[in-house]
Amino acid sequence: MNHIFFVTLKLLFERKRQTIVAIIGVSIGVGAFIAMASLMNGFQKYFIEQALDLNAHVTLKIKDEPDKERILRKVYGEGVSFSIFGAKPKELKDKIIDYKFLIKKFEKDPNIIGIAPHLTGQGIVRYGTVDKSATLVGIDPTLERRASVIDKFISNKKLDVLISDRDSIIIGKLLARDLGIDEMGKKVIITTPNGITHLFKVVDFFDSGITMLDQTRIYMNLKTLQTIFNKPNEVNEIIFRVKNVYQANEIAEKIKNETGYYTESWQKAFRNFLQLFKIQNYITYMIVFAILIVSAFGIFNIIMMTVLEKKRDIAILKALGYENKDIIRIFVFHGVTIGFLGALFGCLLGYGIQEFLASVNVSVEGLVRTKGFALDRDPLYFIYGVLFAFVFSTFAAFYPSYKASKLNPIDIFRSSA
Amino acid sequence: MSIVIQLRDISKKIRDETILKNINLSISKGEFISIIGPSGSGKSSLLYILGLLDIPSSGEVYVEGEKIEFTESSKIAHFRNLKFGFVFQFHYLIAEFSLLENVMVPMVKAGISREDAKEKAALLLQKLGLGGKEKRKPFQISGGEQQRVAIARALANDPILIIADEPTGNLDSKNTAIVMDIFCKLHMEGKTVIMVTHEIELTERTERIVKMLDGKIIEDLELSKKKC
Ligand SMILES: Nc1ncnc2c1ncn2[C@@H]1O[C@H](COP(=O)(O)OP(=O)(O)O)[C@@H](O)[C@H]1O
Ligand SMILES: [Mg+2]
Repeated sequence: MNHIFFVTLKLLFERKRQTIVAIIGVSIGVGAFIAMASLMNGFQKYFIEQALDLNAHVTLKIKDEPDKERILRKVYGEGVSFSIFGAKPKELKDKIIDYKFLIKKFEKDPNIIGIAPHLTGQGIVRYGTVDKSATLVGIDPTLERRASVIDKFISNKKLDVLISDRDSIIIGKLLARDLGIDEMGKKVIITTPNGITHLFKVVDFFDSGITMLDQTRIYMNLKTLQTIFNKPNEVNEIIFRVKNVYQANEIAEKIKNETGYYTESWQKAFRNFLQLFKIQNYITYMIVFAILIVSAFGIFNIIMMTVLEKKRDIAILKALGYENKDIIRIFVFHGVTIGFLGALFGCLLGYGIQEFLASVNVSVEGLVRTKGFALDRDPLYFIYGVLFAFVFSTFAAFYPSYKASKLNPIDIFRSSA
Repeated sequence: MSIVIQLRDISKKIRDETILKNINLSISKGEFISIIGPSGSGKSSLLYILGLLDIPSSGEVYVEGEKIEFTESSKIAHFRNLKFGFVFQFHYLIAEFSLLENVMVPMVKAGISREDAKEKAALLLQKLGLGGKEKRKPFQISGGEQQRVAIARALANDPILIIADEPTGNLDSKNTAIVMDIFCKLHMEGKTVIMVTHEIELTERTERIVKMLDGKIIEDLELSKKKC
């Protein structure tokens, strides 16, 4: 192999301009891949993480699905779409009153870390002259923090005040902003659909980063909300935190089978987003793939050009005893070296872009609110980038190399005579 | 004298044209042979077959008594690398390589370490009067010097046969004389040299003249041994 290195490295080094152009091409491809992958996946992971933090891994709840629909689904499966006309609304089981028993029952399950009951309902919150509708969530703070990471999103960590002061609430940061509340201790009036009004003190803010939640949610003590809604010992949702989030589907199924209640895993709750992410990933990877293809063509071109320019040298190498496989190796190695150096600089470039993105301070307010970009700086992307560069450059180099090996030296000697 | 290479009844057809017809040729160790003939008579084609660069349409080639199987391409490449040294009308030096590196190319293929190859190549260049110019690129030296580097490269692996196709075809008379002196010197050292030329006066320095016409050897003339 000594002779392969000797010839190839010499050619690469002496043809600096072509070599550098090709390396830059690959670097851009690899760098773009790393940057885009960490940006896309960073966003998605951030979103899912937030979603997983905020939304139970598994939720047990009342589902108001008419029996007919349920029957149709049972018979024809989930995939069918149908419309039902003239179905009468049925008295639905809209409460979970055995929740204490359910919590006890599943507490022992080793796959479940925490369980917490929720009573949710709608209300109008008024501060001064401003009215906003809100989702009221009654929680048991002690159980809640075992079943979710609610503490993480409470600005001043005053969750426990909900226990000591039954008339305190924690309200979404954006909701607070919309109402004009900018400090704790303000009093608001909440009106529920059954006409009851109640005075509450805002003791803390809830800031999840998910716009939809921060704009609507109000947390209060479960007991308080049960009283207001006149639903003693009743909840309409139980959330479960599981050990392995990717087992949520099975656990949801199990809970459903054992309790008879409707359950929903986070995957199901977020299936629209997950689907969207899938499409987003396809697009990202297609773009990156296109970039890599372009840089592969760069390698292909450079090597093809080198081969065409070096026909005489290939002929003399063969006359001097270099075999076809030596010629192939020389030019494939040529490509692989470009690929390797390109990958190396691509990693540096990717790292540089990551550093840059990490330092950028943009406030994004859309689906989620973040300060700067949520990056996923998984070293795996670097490994993938390097692997892609290797595979692509090897493939790109192979055809011209093969062509080169098939050159007949006599043809060259005759044609230049 | 042992036979270095032997062609038995070699013919070469390209499409329907026969460019070599029933060639028989034996080359003994230490011979200095010139091949002469008009353009298109098949001199180059003959050298390509002698040097295992081309495959005959029929006939057999023996190298040091061993019959060549033309399907064994790897072995043939090995032979080219170790047993033959080619010099062409054009030098075919690799432009990006220094003179030293050009001479090293066949050596590293033969498995010689880079350090040893460097040393050997430097010695060869020295011997051919190119000492001190090892680091230069081919374009930085004259045509005569380029051809001498090509000869040094042909000698790299100490071949049993030096095959030269009009090595002086592009050179002025002064450089032609230098190159001929080198071949003579190699011959005196016991090397076997076969050289195509169409300058008749050059054949006078060789010991054997093979005349070709229309793909056939029409005359094979042994001259008396002499100091060329
Ligand atoms: N690829 C080819 N196709 C057809 N004819 C060829 C080819 N190569 C060589 N020839 C013919 O073979 C003959 C011998 O060529 P060559 O050996 O180069 O002659 P020389 O070296 O004596 O000038 C010539 O007539 C030439 O036209
Ligand atoms: Mg010729």
